[in-house]
Amino acid sequence: MSITLFTSTGCIRCKIVKRFLGERGLAYAEKDIKAEGKEDFQKFYVAHRKSIYRGQEGVEFPLLFDGVAIRQGLAAVTAYILAGKGLDGFVSVGTLHQEWVDGLLVSGGDPSRAEEFMELLRYLKGNNMKIRLDTKGKNSHILSRILDEGLAALVVMEVPGPGALYRRITGEEVDPSDLARSIALTPKFPQYQFQITVAPVIEADGTARYLTPGEVAETARQILEITGSKKHPYLIRPFKPESADDPRLKGLDPMAVQALYSYRTAAREYQVLADLGKE
Amino acid sequence: MKDLDELYFPDGILYYQEHTWAKREGDLVRVGITDFAQDQLGDIVFIELPVSDDEFSRDDEFGIAESAKTASQLFIPIGGRIQAVNEELEGSPGLVNAEPYGAGWLVLVKPYDLTELNSLLSRDDYIASLK
Repeated sequence: MSITLFTSTGCIRCKIVKRFLGERGLAYAEKDIKAEGKEDFQKFYVAHRKSIYRGQEGVEFPLLFDGVAIRQGLAAVTAYILAGKGLDGFVSVGTLHQEWVDGLLVSGGDPSRAEEFMELLRYLKGNNMKIRLDTKGKNSHILSRILDEGLAALVVMEVPGPGALYRRITGEEVDPSDLARSIALTPKFPQYQFQITVAPVIEADGTARYLTPGEVAETARQILEITGSKKHPYLIRPFKPESADDPRLKGLDPMAVQALYSYRTAAREYQVLADLGKE
Repeated sequence: MKDLDELYFPDGILYYQEHTWAKREGDLVRVGITDFAQDQLGDIVFIELPVSDDEFSRDDEFGIAESAKTASQLFIPIGGRIQAVNEELEGSPGLVNAEPYGAGWLVLVKPYDLTELNSLLSRDDYIASLK
């Protein structure tokens, strides 16, 4: 399967990926979209437009295409070269630039692929990238290894809600001790943040309702109980119904910003730095 | 991106605040994007245009122009029915960058009300609006 790598003149992340390919002896065709690859990119774009991610700053580069998959961004492309689809779940297209790399979700991937995920992080860090990791609590053992090796500059932990509601919010089971370990580990990173999205909870009758201020406060209390501190950065974010896959959630009215103030007030009893985050 | 004095704004056409231009050709009006707009976009890789017989009111979105760095909605400077679409752009969207006032035209419109042209901008007024 032949690899085409679309790059852009001056793109440092593209150079990092090219070096990675070279170190593995993998042949590829580079197409610089600002130079000789302009026309090739235009044809590729037309053919694959619906599958190409476009962020705030446009199409994310480097962009790899091997005839089967498209991967974009430093982390996602490197992960795909390293492990094919094996690291899907751990990695998505990042949105940060300059020296930061993100789109890395510790809790999202198959824990049996931990070693490859660690290799990815080591490579990114070794190329002077600052790593932002996200987690929702699973795979705390991987988070612990990342901490031990000093690989992440920033960890953002989304604590979805009180443990008892986790499945009804996320649709997934979680081992409460795994979640607790992740909560305990998060403040040990150089920079960190806890956050909660005021997300819908699916009730027993299948209807959806938003987390209550009391439930958000309970989550803040959980963080206090585990870490012993009330002074963690704790962001409360609104849910975006339009981004939901579940049609029950798509139909919800978005919460007004003013409504979030009661959540912040409730949470501040247990996390005094609780504040409202942007969408 | 170029400085304003490096961009080209011909006489003989009218300009719209949304960076499209309109040129009367008998009872039809040809529409494209200005040199400023194409310069802002960068190398255009895809343009989505309407089809013939689609109808629009002035200021309606009639298409999208996409480059690697941005995607920009296109707003029509005059209401009417689409008579023709520049089909060359499907395979060569770069024509809009190379010849925004010539071969890179976008659509040809049969206007409902030609007097709408009266409220478009002259070359000088459009340039002033960019400063």
